[in-house]
Amino acid sequence: MIIFGILSQFAALIFTLLAMGLFLGGLGRNNLRLVEAGKRGLLSATAATTLASIALGYLFLTDNFQVEYVASYSDRALPLFYKLTAFWAGQKGSLLFWAWVLSLFTSLVIFNNRKEPDDRNTPYVYLVLAATLGFFLFLLCAVSNPFDTLGFTPQDGNGLNPMLQNPGMVFHPPLLFFGYIGFTIPFAYAIAAMITGNTGADWIRKTRVWNVLSWIFLSIGIILGGQWAYVELGWGGYWAWDPVENASFIPWLVSTAFIHTAIIQERRGIMKVWNMVLILLTFSLCIFGTYLVRSGVLQSVHDFGATGLGGYFLFFVAVVLIGGFYLLAESYGEFKTPGSVESYLSRESTFLFNNVILLALAFATLLGTVFPILSEAVTGNKITVGQPFFNQVNTPLFLILVLLTGICPLIGWRKASVANLRRNFLRPAASAFLAAIIMVAFGIREPYALLAFTLATFVGGTIVQEYVTALRSRKKLTGESSASAGLKLLWRMRRRYGGHIVHFGLAMMVVGIAASSAYKLESQGTLQKGETLTIGEFTLKYEDFRIYQKYNRTVYAAKLGIFKAGARIDELEAERRNYINAKQPTTEVAIRSTLVEDLYVTMPGIGRNNEITLKVAVNPLLIWIWFGSSLMVLGGILAIIPSRRKKYV
Amino acid sequence: MKKSNRKVLIAILVIVLGVGFLIYRGLSNTSVYYMTVAELKTSALGQQIGPNQAVRVGGLVVADSVDYNQRELVLRFALKDEGNPQQTLTAVYKGARPDAFEPDIEALLEGTYNRNSNLFEAQTLLVKCPSKYESEPKKEKAL
Repeated sequence: MIIFGILSQFAALIFTLLAMGLFLGGLGRNNLRLVEAGKRGLLSATAATTLASIALGYLFLTDNFQVEYVASYSDRALPLFYKLTAFWAGQKGSLLFWAWVLSLFTSLVIFNNRKEPDDRNTPYVYLVLAATLGFFLFLLCAVSNPFDTLGFTPQDGNGLNPMLQNPGMVFHPPLLFFGYIGFTIPFAYAIAAMITGNTGADWIRKTRVWNVLSWIFLSIGIILGGQWAYVELGWGGYWAWDPVENASFIPWLVSTAFIHTAIIQERRGIMKVWNMVLILLTFSLCIFGTYLVRSGVLQSVHDFGATGLGGYFLFFVAVVLIGGFYLLAESYGEFKTPGSVESYLSRESTFLFNNVILLALAFATLLGTVFPILSEAVTGNKITVGQPFFNQVNTPLFLILVLLTGICPLIGWRKASVANLRRNFLRPAASAFLAAIIMVAFGIREPYALLAFTLATFVGGTIVQEYVTALRSRKKLTGESSASAGLKLLWRMRRRYGGHIVHFGLAMMVVGIAASSAYKLESQGTLQKGETLTIGEFTLKYEDFRIYQKYNRTVYAAKLGIFKAGARIDELEAERRNYINAKQPTTEVAIRSTLVEDLYVTMPGIGRNNEITLKVAVNPLLIWIWFGSSLMVLGGILAIIPSRRKKYV
Repeated sequence: MKKSNRKVLIAILVIVLGVGFLIYRGLSNTSVYYMTVAELKTSALGQQIGPNQAVRVGGLVVADSVDYNQRELVLRFALKDEGNPQQTLTAVYKGARPDAFEPDIEALLEGTYNRNSNLFEAQTLLVKCPSKYESEPKKEKAL
């Protein structure tokens, strides 16, 4: 199986190189048959990467510890499910996973285009895709091969890090990868468009689904990462501005900007150059993020360490950026656009402001992330910035972004009229203002939190008002019931309402983030059986202690009764786990989530006579973050469900 | 250039300047030096760091030095320089011992350093996930 895996990988590389040659030949001789053959080469490469992936999966399932990668990330006691997902637990396997998914995506593009006649762009698109795939396959074959063997067969493997034995963590990396990899496709179309001078909105229209889909994957990946940190790491937060987190957040910001101005290009034919810049940045930031994680240049809690791959990724990013901007400069003449942004008060200009803010967020986050490297290069001393920097800089920018989220979708194109402004914004602004007064009256005085709640109300208000107005006129027109009209409206205009749902989700998230960071309560204490600990309105009573075996671990669990106003309303079990193969016990977080607040309990210590030490927090409205982010994802999905008439890549 | 375009450009310029100011202020308020234990103790720059100035220090946790009071959640340990293990300092962190914390692991502390008592009071403690595969010279770990 090992030989089979190595050969499959190698075959995939050969097929990919062959395909590149065929595309180049096809372009040189203007021969479409060569291009067709090239496509078949890519499909064969896909088959080969699939076989290689099956081989690696098989090696994991059969506990073949002769393979170094399997020995590093699995052991006999590991549950079957985690054996399979250990595939991408380390860097070699995740490289293979990357190549596999990229080849699958490429084949999907070929499949979706099977009825479309090839145009001048096609060979370039596939050439770029093949070159990217070739890069990863080269790394797999020559530098970082997951099928490398140890030269001996250990009795057992090292096991998967217990912190990674969590469903959220299992799906977090592949979804991020889907996002990163998905942006290869719009990138390939953009490059092709620049080479052929076909710079209209064609490439944007064709790749819209891939853009939004990649954005959705990236979003889910980031959210799952946050959720994993929250439920697994036990420090009580979900986001620490760690370099690895930032590495995924920066491309997310830039791609969000791109999705917005892509709409402008589609509708008004302007911002062509800008969109090219954004897709180049998005793609290179995806690769750069991978570089940051793998190069060992940054101090992060969870990087891959120095793996010797950094240089290759940096080289690849350099090629993408230099090549991309060179093409952009070469084809600059093609981009001359007749239109322009006509007024401050127009959708175009607010979209532009939204872009500036998103890019500023991306820039600030990137700067903060690489600041130690920069400062060392310039001054010889490493200077770092931590969470306070990101919070200080990014919070005000985010609040502006939320304000724009309320304004952008409803302000008129070209130049907004006073009537348009009054119709769309008067009531939401008034209700937000009213809400602010009420909140102040109830003692909410934290400036940022208050501002965040007010702006979120405004955003929510604009969306609800727009929807209700549309619903009323539809009911009047068709005589349908509210429910039927409401659903049909969402479905018929799903691109529009998908966007609104994303924005509504964002507003909910903002509320959750602001409330849980400004009004968090924390406490800790050591308890004997029968003793209690009080936090806010909750009292926790240590009721029972038990030790039991489960799968590959020993669990030490303390049962805690939760009391509110004297009544026992619930119970939680705080755990520490000893995994076979792990040197240290791990903390399991116990959470009681309601719409109003999360009660968050960890047990960092167990002493003599089962005396326990608890750390407890109350995080108000935290669940809103997960609800809001889920809505964002759902809205995105709604927006890309294709209608039957439309063609997409 | 059209007049309206110019107006929008000016607005963008204002935003960019605002962002620049935010970043500048953020950097000057929050940036701290990052040093190894040896640099903090002996280098010229390290000497200049006052007892109330925040600094980030990285090193290895000395085996047999870990003292964790799990009642009060106070973690005490010695941190040694990776390249120069004679240079050590005593670190105190008030908080739960992170799961990944163990002897010989690489730790990053942020806090203040008192030169006279050689005591580092850490506000934050980050540990790098340990490499589980010791026979492999390269360090590789999962996300």
